[in-house]
Amino acid sequence: MTTSTEHGAIARIWNWQITAFCALILFVVAIAAVSFGPISINFLKVFKTLFDLPGGSSGMNRTVILELRLPRVILGILVGAALATSGAVYQTVFHNPLADPYLLGAASGAGLGATIAITSTHHNLAGALPIFAFVGGVLAVLTSFFISGKFFADPNSLLLSGIAVGSFATAIQTYLQQRHSTALRPVYSWILGDLTNASWSVVAWSAIYIAIALVILFSVAKQLDGLMLSDEEAYSLGINPKRLRITAVAAATLATATAVSASGLIGFVGIVVPHLVRGLTHRVTNRSLITIAMAGAAFLVLADLGARTLLSPAELPIGVITAFVGAPFFLFVLRNRRKVLQ
Amino acid sequence: MSIVVSDLTVRYGEKVVLNDISLEISNAKWTCLVGPNGAGKTTFLKVLLGMAPYSGSIQDNGIEVFKSQNRNVAFVPQHPQIPPGMTVAEYVMLGRSKKDGWGNESLASRSYVHKVLTETNLFGMQDNLVAQLSGGEMQRALIARALAQEPDLILLDEPTSALDLHHQISVLNNIELLKEDGVTVISTMHDLTLAAMFAERLVVLKAGKILLAGDSDIVIHSSELKKAYDNRIDVYTLDSGRPVIVASKFSR
Repeated sequence: MTTSTEHGAIARIWNWQITAFCALILFVVAIAAVSFGPISINFLKVFKTLFDLPGGSSGMNRTVILELRLPRVILGILVGAALATSGAVYQTVFHNPLADPYLLGAASGAGLGATIAITSTHHNLAGALPIFAFVGGVLAVLTSFFISGKFFADPNSLLLSGIAVGSFATAIQTYLQQRHSTALRPVYSWILGDLTNASWSVVAWSAIYIAIALVILFSVAKQLDGLMLSDEEAYSLGINPKRLRITAVAAATLATATAVSASGLIGFVGIVVPHLVRGLTHRVTNRSLITIAMAGAAFLVLADLGARTLLSPAELPIGVITAFVGAPFFLFVLRNRRKVLQ
Repeated sequence: MSIVVSDLTVRYGEKVVLNDISLEISNAKWTCLVGPNGAGKTTFLKVLLGMAPYSGSIQDNGIEVFKSQNRNVAFVPQHPQIPPGMTVAEYVMLGRSKKDGWGNESLASRSYVHKVLTETNLFGMQDNLVAQLSGGEMQRALIARALAQEPDLILLDEPTSALDLHHQISVLNNIELLKEDGVTVISTMHDLTLAAMFAERLVVLKAGKILLAGDSDIVIHSSELKKAYDNRIDVYTLDSGRPVIVASKFSR
């Protein structure tokens, strides 16, 4: 940490060592995740195959690497980065260290959308599930905005309407689920989240939306400092707080809805990772967004590796792993809330 | 040049919070809004900031203030939002954001923040987290951030309400120094004695209307001031000539 001596930097704007460390971890974790599985492939061979160097794998191993594991790892990177960054942004915007990206009903809305897809089509439209989930998530958040009425005059009213919309969507979802008992299992497994649907086409469309959302969030990250103050203070410092809040929440919601529709509900990443990075960097959350994105990506890829290998050849839902690590951490955060709040 | 308020009315839904106010506020002077709770003082500050909608006109040196961010106005709220994880130095540096751009800090800004931290007796605490400051220290950090802004106009909502007497005087002295640099100061204050001591002009508000506006020593002895508080205040004059305002003993 630097101190504000006469010529020293004050704002601790960039801590490149930790960012570089996270990038390195992400790279190593990604290569490891491609190597390990029911068929283990040599680390070096994976590296050579991925970068198309001589001596790479061929035949079935090449297919496993490039068509099965690589899209899954990349989807994990996208989803992890999206959830962690959105969580950090929500925590800043709502002045709440325990806010997570599902707060405004994105998760329940997506859950309802997915349940509708599963129940009403009898699996014929399984391919459309991500679209249903995406639309459900976005609609739920828009409804929260609409109900809160003041359009962000007050973050708390938005939060409360998000909770109401979320409960309402969950109620309908449960009703549908009970009416179609055959849907129980697929809905349940979707709710726990997994990356098994990863294919290059899923990777492609999620990459587009998540990249757009992350670019927006990174570009407004520094101004988010202002949203940690009251609206009047932010305004006096040259920010339009309402517009910035709408931009940040809309981008975070786009990232979340995309992540949810590609991989189901993966909990805790949005809370655990921002706090973990803040513990390491000792910096205001929004000033570490890129680091948080990379840490989130590494965390999710690692969790997915655990989900694939712990009960191999069976798979655990990834949500089980993130919650297994996340829930105790969450309690730890609550216990040290005073410290974390500061 | 000055701030000219004409026919200003502010409504929250059906409720009229400020009612047909016209007033001229001189530059480089300290004007204090006084009056009982609910008189509309804080709302007046918010419309002067330019953030809240109003009918009528507020011209700040020729600029209509609503949504005009070309002015350099610092705002010190009564209840600040405390950013988690931010140090005092970072917090004060936020005041330079408009000059340097968000997330940047120029060398000039660093030395300016250094100067401001010293002026507000916060030097030595610059690496502490703002969330760990006491009420008095937080108030000084707020003032320091406002000073770092190098504003033309500073709006302060009850700048001394959380402070003990010693810190009240020290904060008010900090604010008074601003006038020497030509900064216009507009504040609200519950403590009428302090208001009369520091502000050159007092504006007495009650139920959204101005009862009286004028030089402090005239307003403080006026019947309108007593009327604003339902005649429940007494004004005494010390031997030094300074007025002291206290609540009247309530008689049944």
